[in-house]
Amino acid sequence: MTTILGVPSAVLYGQLLLGLINGAFYAMLSLGLAVIFGMMNIVNFAHGAQYMMGAMGAWFLLNYLGIGYWWALILAPLAVGAIGIVIEMLLLRRLYKLDHLYGMLLTFGLALMVQGMFSDWFGSSGQPYSIPQALMGGNHLGFMFLPNYRAWVIAASVVICLGTWYVVERTKLGAYLRAATENPMLVQAFGIRVPRMITLTYGAGVALAALAGVLAAPIYQVSPLMGADLLIVVFAVVVIGGMGSIMGSILTGFLVGIIEGLTKAFYPEASTTVVFVVMAVVLLIRPAGLFGSKPEAAQGQPQSSLSVPAPSARTQNLIFLTVAACLAAAPIVVYPGFMMKAMIFALFACAFNLVAGYGRLVSFGHAMFLGSAGYVCGHVAKTWGLPPELAILAGTATAAMLGFVSGWLAIRRSGIYFAMVTLAFAQMVYFVALQAPFTGGEDGLQAIPRGMLFGLIDLSRPANLYTFVLAIFLGGFFLIMRLVGSPFGRVLKAISDHDARAQSLGFDTSRYKLVAFTLSAALAGLAGSTKAIVSQIASLTDVHWSMSGEVLLMTFLGGVGTLYGPLVGAFIVVAMQNYLAAFGQWVTVIHGLIFVVCVLAFRRGIVGELIEFWHRRRRAPAATQTVLRKVAVATKE
Amino acid sequence: MTDGAVYALETRGLSREFGGFFAVNSVNFRLARNSMHAVIGPNGAGKTTLFNLLTKYLPPSAGTILHDGHDVTRLSMPAMAKRSVVRSFQISAVFAGLTVRENIELALLPEHGLAWNLLGRISRHRGVLDRADALLGRFGLSEYAETMAGSLSYGRKRVLELATTLALEPKVLLLDEPMAGLGHEDIGRVTQLIREAGRDRTVLLVEHNMNVVAELADTITVMVRGEVLAEGSYAEVSSRADVMAAYTGQAHA
Repeated sequence: MTTILGVPSAVLYGQLLLGLINGAFYAMLSLGLAVIFGMMNIVNFAHGAQYMMGAMGAWFLLNYLGIGYWWALILAPLAVGAIGIVIEMLLLRRLYKLDHLYGMLLTFGLALMVQGMFSDWFGSSGQPYSIPQALMGGNHLGFMFLPNYRAWVIAASVVICLGTWYVVERTKLGAYLRAATENPMLVQAFGIRVPRMITLTYGAGVALAALAGVLAAPIYQVSPLMGADLLIVVFAVVVIGGMGSIMGSILTGFLVGIIEGLTKAFYPEASTTVVFVVMAVVLLIRPAGLFGSKPEAAQGQPQSSLSVPAPSARTQNLIFLTVAACLAAAPIVVYPGFMMKAMIFALFACAFNLVAGYGRLVSFGHAMFLGSAGYVCGHVAKTWGLPPELAILAGTATAAMLGFVSGWLAIRRSGIYFAMVTLAFAQMVYFVALQAPFTGGEDGLQAIPRGMLFGLIDLSRPANLYTFVLAIFLGGFFLIMRLVGSPFGRVLKAISDHDARAQSLGFDTSRYKLVAFTLSAALAGLAGSTKAIVSQIASLTDVHWSMSGEVLLMTFLGGVGTLYGPLVGAFIVVAMQNYLAAFGQWVTVIHGLIFVVCVLAFRRGIVGELIEFWHRRRRAPAATQTVLRKVAVATKE
Repeated sequence: MTDGAVYALETRGLSREFGGFFAVNSVNFRLARNSMHAVIGPNGAGKTTLFNLLTKYLPPSAGTILHDGHDVTRLSMPAMAKRSVVRSFQISAVFAGLTVRENIELALLPEHGLAWNLLGRISRHRGVLDRADALLGRFGLSEYAETMAGSLSYGRKRVLELATTLALEPKVLLLDEPMAGLGHEDIGRVTQLIREAGRDRTVLLVEHNMNVVAELADTITVMVRGEVLAEGSYAEVSSRADVMAAYTGQAHA
């Protein structure tokens, strides 16, 4: 048997083939993302869910209607594309003038809803879909065995990719599309119905995802979450390639697939993380991406910002003390376990809000700080036997360092790209946590000791534990309150309003962003470490992307950019989890629905809308409103 | 330096290319100290690109930029601000989410050593508050101090932007079309403010409004197709046939 650099050639070719197949799916999906983004400036976070719907569609057609693969190849994309058209007309259309992040949040919500519903109907385990009769078997090529179905997928994907490229770059229809991307008003003036064109483009992009899903059905297991993890890799591909060019997306997709295949052959331990490493390297040497050209500056206006000045320091301190007193007294009426969980998540959300709300750096990967800090804290407490204060310190420091490194790379991009980069890094941390020797893999770390705080206070006593969590929350919250109200916080807000102007006034804006991001990561790590001590568990849930989604949900629901919004949001979301647990997957659907409603109707969040409401009433003369007004205004900063 | 003079800003062979098109083509430009210098030219002449190069908003494709005789070609925008070269923006750049007072206070933070103060409160620093009050008064913004900058009228945003820029007491002030989008009364007011600001500093402005240019500028540079066509006083420049031809769209002789 021949070997190449110590790897049997059959293994190498086999992995290369697998890489090529994966690359074909990366190419098809990033292509669809690029087409949709080019036309609508929306990062379609539902792309993975729509890919899954294509595969599911094929499975349903076969198992319930007896309709086979070849018809599914046509029917499933048509059906999913039609759903996409309805989504565009009902929902996405309302977002075109807003910041691109809202499109990403809305489609993220849609993805959660779709995945939740399918998980409920279908269960989350995978189902096989058999290879069609005509494509069974394979050929010996002399150096390797090539299954017919895999050959077909590669051929089909190349045809689909080149066909899309041809339509967009070489036909009259494509010329209209590209022109409408540059200047929709002008193209509209030529008598072309741009809104209809946008609708059809989204439908086509979605159908493309579904078509990829049908092609994937016989290769991968058909399951409700098959698209979710794939999409994160596709985001990394998009960051590597840049969304500026169609051909760039295709080439990057295949390239990344092949790199993955080669890594699997030569160094299998790194195969799940290599994509993210490549992304980091590209960010370092060519931040705009290999084929990137589209400038990021052209973003819509943020609609969430409040038009109310910050309250006085005195009022703020008063409100803080009131909240502290309520939290201290809460265990009399509320189950302390719930309160502790909610306070930990509230600290996590407040830390997230520090960058998302005040720095407008919306991270989709904050779970990496929560989770990694939990693991390190748990390991230090359990294996090294160190007291809780040192374990928490170690966890927090780890998160801060991780925040510094990932932030240093991620702040090279802004807006939606920042979101995708942070999401990708978090996925890398997830894979490391899955494989690293000290994390316990799927089981996580169990029975983490609570220990004696400073050698004096026994944290296994409920009252002590509650006081401890309360102190950490209040301390963290007070720190955030001071940061936001400080000169540093002022500069941070100014940067999020107008980065270039802040630079022209002499502020080195990247350094401010990096410091804010690192502080946010450290505070998220503090929450994660405390969580590990309180729950005595550190598990994969806390590093998973769905946790990053939850902190986004808490913050946007409560009010991004308001001091108390994340606190309110965290309590609501944790309460929902506790009391709606019986509904299983429907909790995810509700989460998704909240995202959609927040983005469409409620962009300031609960606290933000309340502040605005009271501020409007303030203008009307009403002496009795004075007290209420003060409270409302003071809850924001 | 051929004549031994040191300029507030000077460019040598400065070029900027956009996909094969030279928006600024090998420009040698000199901004004399304490002058009030205007760059004019028809649309697409490369004025704004030159301005963005000088203010480090764009990196040049070729050439060098000197500030007080030092090569600053590779410096960043914040680094230029620290050298007391500060720009304004064509589309009014205020921090919409901050109040008018907060906007001005922001510009005062670095000189009071507060730019990296993470836990303090600005309201405890009398020096900042007093200077902000003085600036608010000087620019007629006192009654809007607590208004969110985003809800100001366009003209007042312009005034606020100027106030914020001048809060830094820059030695070199670069203004990108300060009159763009302003109504008649506002133009008079902003012109007056710029004139006052120019008494003890160097000012460079890119401007379309010829009345304003005639009134303010002591030196005028005319750009056409990425190159300098003419330079001199308003009377000198406006009497040249090739300048008129460039503006009326005819090929000049």
